[in-house]
Amino acid sequence: MEVRSVSFSYNEKLTGRALNSVSFFVDKGERIAILGHNGSGKSTLTKILGGLAEPDEGSCLIEGVDINKMKFRDLRSKIGMVFQDPENQIVAAMVEDDIAFAPENQGLPSEEIQRRVDTALAAADLLHKKDSSVAALSGGEKQRVALAGALAADVECLILDEPTAMLDPKSRLRVEKILRRIHSEGMTILQITHQIEAENFDDFDRVLVLSKGGIIWSGTTSEFWGKAEELGFELPDEFKIKKILDEKKINFPNDFANFSAPSTISYSEQENEYEKKFKIKNLSFGYDEKIFALKNLSAEIFSGQWLSIIGHTGSGKSTLVQHLNALYKIQSGEIFFDGEKLPQKGEEVHRLRQRVGLVFQHPEDQLFSATVREEIAFAPKNAGFKMQELEDAVLYGLECAGLDKNFLERNPLALSGGERRLVAIASVLATKPECVVLDEPLAGLDASYQKKILAMLGQLRDSGKTVITITHDLDTALKYSDRILILRNGETVREGAPFEVLEEIMNFIEPEALPDVLRMSAEIRKINKNFPLLYDFQDFVKCFSQI
Amino acid sequence: MFLSNINLGQYVPTGSVIHKLDPRAKLFSLIFIITAVFPAKDFFQLSFWLAALCAVVFLSKISWKILLRAARPVFFLVAFTFIFNLAAAYFSGDILTASYRAVFTSARLIVLMMFAIMLPLTTAPLELADGLDALLGPFESFGFPAHECSMMIGMALRFIPLLMQETDKIMRAQLSRGARLDQGNLFQRVTAFFPVLIPLFIIIFRRADEIAVAMEARGYEGGKGRTRRKPLAWNFKDTAAVIISGFAAGIFFAL
Repeated sequence: MEVRSVSFSYNEKLTGRALNSVSFFVDKGERIAILGHNGSGKSTLTKILGGLAEPDEGSCLIEGVDINKMKFRDLRSKIGMVFQDPENQIVAAMVEDDIAFAPENQGLPSEEIQRRVDTALAAADLLHKKDSSVAALSGGEKQRVALAGALAADVECLILDEPTAMLDPKSRLRVEKILRRIHSEGMTILQITHQIEAENFDDFDRVLVLSKGGIIWSGTTSEFWGKAEELGFELPDEFKIKKILDEKKINFPNDFANFSAPSTISYSEQENEYEKKFKIKNLSFGYDEKIFALKNLSAEIFSGQWLSIIGHTGSGKSTLVQHLNALYKIQSGEIFFDGEKLPQKGEEVHRLRQRVGLVFQHPEDQLFSATVREEIAFAPKNAGFKMQELEDAVLYGLECAGLDKNFLERNPLALSGGERRLVAIASVLATKPECVVLDEPLAGLDASYQKKILAMLGQLRDSGKTVITITHDLDTALKYSDRILILRNGETVREGAPFEVLEEIMNFIEPEALPDVLRMSAEIRKINKNFPLLYDFQDFVKCFSQI
Repeated sequence: MFLSNINLGQYVPTGSVIHKLDPRAKLFSLIFIITAVFPAKDFFQLSFWLAALCAVVFLSKISWKILLRAARPVFFLVAFTFIFNLAAAYFSGDILTASYRAVFTSARLIVLMMFAIMLPLTTAPLELADGLDALLGPFESFGFPAHECSMMIGMALRFIPLLMQETDKIMRAQLSRGARLDQGNLFQRVTAFFPVLIPLFIIIFRRADEIAVAMEARGYEGGKGRTRRKPLAWNFKDTAAVIISGFAAGIFFAL
């Protein structure tokens, strides 16, 4: 496959070119990562590579033939695509029917279609879900259906647009494993992504870095490591550590066998006694008589602290936080807020929602106003703010979210995804809630916006607010929050400071999905019982200096 | 969830005889049944169709609970007709006969809609689309976009549950921001829903766009030249189903 100086613009005068003279080639059977931040032109390139958009200039060739001049059916049996959101790729209600969609479009005879479906099911580890309805599958399984759906067209090349971005760590590993196998069987794979994952990076043959519509760097994965930071990508901890270990000629983990951790690393219990913001006692909640989302859950949430709630999909995280502002009514059990029973109805619920701000997952999808000002004013207006008070609230929200005043008159829908997320968060903060709850606040954002939001949450906590986040990202949870609450099947496993819960985390997360530092310190611990479990990069590096 | 209990005719796979019938056979039978239920004049005649409904539900292995849940939106319609009929009765003077008529009309409507709801409950969306496509196919020569219409209905049925989830999530988010969705007069209530409707429409358009791209990427270019993994096959049981429903409707008219 070859891409020859491809350029593309949606509206050249208004926004400039989305892609500017992009050229590269791909050998048969290669697996290539195309890296780029939000707005680098990745999605546009995906569409052009997949033959779904025609470039303004240049061309895209497969085995010497221009894909835009190829017959539609021929093209579609050469290139398969998988996109980010599995829901938007699945057309049928039953697994087999969906996978059959592509071969059906190719006009194949029924027996051949069935054969293709069976092969694709096997390739995506889905044989056991053959007769399932799509609605009964998890997010990871749905994405595997989408992958099988692309494979069923018997393609030679797969183009993947952030295929694991919306999945939890466990499903992500599963999809990666399948991709590895498909690649080893000869499939050419182009994977577009905005971040580097330690777990799959060695699988790629080459890396292309896309920035502002142009390829600014290309090379092998090992060459990329040296350059990553220069190119604006954060290296995973594991690679940073390995680099230091190599420099110091330390053999991991064997050199740590007789090593006792330096006393400088000591985690102490909290000195200050924090007041309890929420006290949850024996909370149970069922969607119907049989399925319980929460089972006798008890927990305490401290005032002025940042709590991260972690747990697998379906462990009850979202259900729990929606109890905190009375979106879910308590079925059994009790919740105390500042020592008083949580109101369940009437005007008091509205006052509660002003004091406990809840930001949902992908809150940028919930914007509806014509200007950012109106959007941010929505919540305070509902809370009864007027005139100057309202204006102050809007400015307060804006400031908390780190946006400047010239955003006020802009249309929220015309902003970038990251900016929209900030506006949505500002709209919740505007009522000056004492407690802010955020469901996966970092999901789908690139590194720079993730940093912005983490810094903002730190500031909110420092200003005395109680911050609660739900996250799949253990690394961030451990590094940034003060307390961690682990949920499993609707029950509390453990609540404590990050250093107190490491053992429990080890117990319920598969090793590959653990944060790098924790996984590596656990490896050392296997051969040296005196070595502590660590999660902080700096602490871990301190250990090296003593060897 | 606020809306999770509403099931707008999502497919419920149980692998029953009814599920395995050809979608065309089910469509034909439904047409027969509906034309026959409409002219039912009294509860005696209606009880005949209620028994038939029970038989179909039994054969489909779908629980009454699911069926009644799926029919929930219909009950609003029924309640509306009931009140309307009752109001008419009040003004007509003869309250007794008229209220009897109100009850009867509502009951007939319920039976009718239950039959109709059984179709999407027992037929997968794309299969239903294939069936409609086949039945409407002859009209294509008059320029009627039969395939496109059927595909649209199929896709709409596929995405209803997803859009319900989205609506639910947006409602919760706006309630969290202090929206008062259930207070005030009618006008206030309608305008209070804009913060839910606008994001919902944006999401629908975005999804539609992404789905269209994904379908194109999988080689969809309309109905021409498309084959099926399981082509519609008309078996003896399909003929039997159509004959039985046709016969039942026939007897009914003869009475």
